[in-house]
Amino acid sequence: MRFFKSLSSMTTGLVLLALVGAAAAIGSSLWPEYFFRSWPFRLLLALLLINMVLCTINTSGRFFRRRARISRDWRLLLRSLGLVALHAGIIFILVGASLYSWLGHSVQLSIREGDTVQIESILPVSKPFALKLDKFYIEFHHDGSPAQYYADLQVLEGDRTALEKTIKVNYPLVYNGVKFYQSSYGYLTEVLVRDGEETPRTLLAQDGDFIPFDNTGRTLKVFRYIPDFDPEAGMAARSDEPLNPRVIYSVYEDEVLLGIGAAPFGEAISIDDGVFIEFQRACPYTVLTVKTDPGLPLVAAGGLFTMLGVCLILFGPSGRKKEV
Amino acid sequence: MTPSTERLFIDLILILYLAGAAGYFAGRRFAGLSRAAFWLSSAGLAANLLALVNRVSLSGRLPLANGYEFLLSFTFITVLLYLLYEIISGNKRAGGVVMLLNGLLTASIVLLMPQHIGYTAPLMPALQSPWLTVHVITAIIAYSAFTLAAGLAIIQLRNAVPGDDLSLYKIVSAGFAMLSLSIVLGAVWAEQVWGRYWTWDPKETWALVTWIIYAIYLHLHRQRGWRGNNARLLVIIGFLLMLFTFFGVNYLLPGLHSYA
Repeated sequence: MRFFKSLSSMTTGLVLLALVGAAAAIGSSLWPEYFFRSWPFRLLLALLLINMVLCTINTSGRFFRRRARISRDWRLLLRSLGLVALHAGIIFILVGASLYSWLGHSVQLSIREGDTVQIESILPVSKPFALKLDKFYIEFHHDGSPAQYYADLQVLEGDRTALEKTIKVNYPLVYNGVKFYQSSYGYLTEVLVRDGEETPRTLLAQDGDFIPFDNTGRTLKVFRYIPDFDPEAGMAARSDEPLNPRVIYSVYEDEVLLGIGAAPFGEAISIDDGVFIEFQRACPYTVLTVKTDPGLPLVAAGGLFTMLGVCLILFGPSGRKKEV
Repeated sequence: MTPSTERLFIDLILILYLAGAAGYFAGRRFAGLSRAAFWLSSAGLAANLLALVNRVSLSGRLPLANGYEFLLSFTFITVLLYLLYEIISGNKRAGGVVMLLNGLLTASIVLLMPQHIGYTAPLMPALQSPWLTVHVITAIIAYSAFTLAAGLAIIQLRNAVPGDDLSLYKIVSAGFAMLSLSIVLGAVWAEQVWGRYWTWDPKETWALVTWIIYAIYLHLHRQRGWRGNNARLLVIIGFLLMLFTFFGVNYLLPGLHSYA
């Protein structure tokens, strides 16, 4: 009983709150990567949560039993309702956030134009469906900085297109409780290889990939695709706009660097006798954050309660009557 | 305005705010000067407003998108709140400290971000959201209220009069409500843009630490009857944490809020 009483007291709550603040300040400075997921911090939050539930019930219960009956001051009533809403809101947020850490999932999905991905293969979903990327494109400001990233998506259920939507940063797609956010992007470089008598083959290389050739000891490294190449700036692109696209590549023989070049698309490059390559185009891929969060409705309600609560408190009387 | 005219305006604001502060400090000895200080601060406020209008006409959006615009709006609201407080309460004691703080905030524009003065850049995709406006405006009002509260608390440390505790409490309450709104609105926005409403990013963490200090002050004031200098020290510590949340996180710690 005594334990219960001290667990529900406001003094305990304030001490816990101060500890959470101090721990967050120290933890984020020393171990930003993992401190907030560690069990001591979670324990602290759990204790604060229990304390807030008990303390809010006690304090507001006392208020509504005693004060409200005596005083019919509606502003006082609003203020007290606001306090309950604010504390309930924070409680909802904490509970909802722990639901996410138990049951929620978030994965980064790289998907190339034209490709289809079964969503149930990357995270648990209630009903299987697939996502297809039709097109990824970037819009630019006048100064060459990116204005917006777009991904044209199709939701497929079996062979049927259930939904078509273009997502962009700040405007995700929601389908069957799964949210898709435009998060990042990149390019694969299509390389045409002619080595020996065979018909030419086409490869897709990621930045940094090595391409070996059968009939020579030489190796090609596709170092990086640069959309707006500036010889003065070297590896740093002038902008993300494909104004002067080049592929930076290097050629090795037995791990010895033979040379580095910056080739435009569609130009044959001789690697060795009878071995030619040609960079053909850059194929964009997009990176989506795919998320399920069963706690989100609770967190959203908590946020709403918190905002409603602080607004109600502002309209209430700010001091007790006995104060000057 | 050309960049050099805009810079001239910032210097003018800085001089008027610092002159206002000097006037308020001197006004304790020579009463006539605090009236001049009020008008100097008002002139600074007008210059600050013109600088904000100029930013709007230059960029075609509200001046809320980088550290420079934030500071310019922040000093404007703080001085506006202070002058309203002075008119309503008839109390000029905190004028010197509050105007000095505003002068220092304006000086930080000149010292830390001169490259932004006179130039605008289009918004990056993450910032193109209606949530930007409400998230940043509530943050600015919260910061302004906490700055005013800190100015009052510093003065009250040495000579307090009846009613001081209550006015401090009212101002901190309003700032706390605004900070709560700003944090929640920021979380709503983060959920839309990154799919995570809370990531313990340095800005989020330090805003929460600031929020916790003021939450403790409000509980102690209301429920434990804390008055006097201990309570005032908490308000000042909260203000220092707020400054760290703004400057320290922008300049020392990398994170999602690195837009300045």
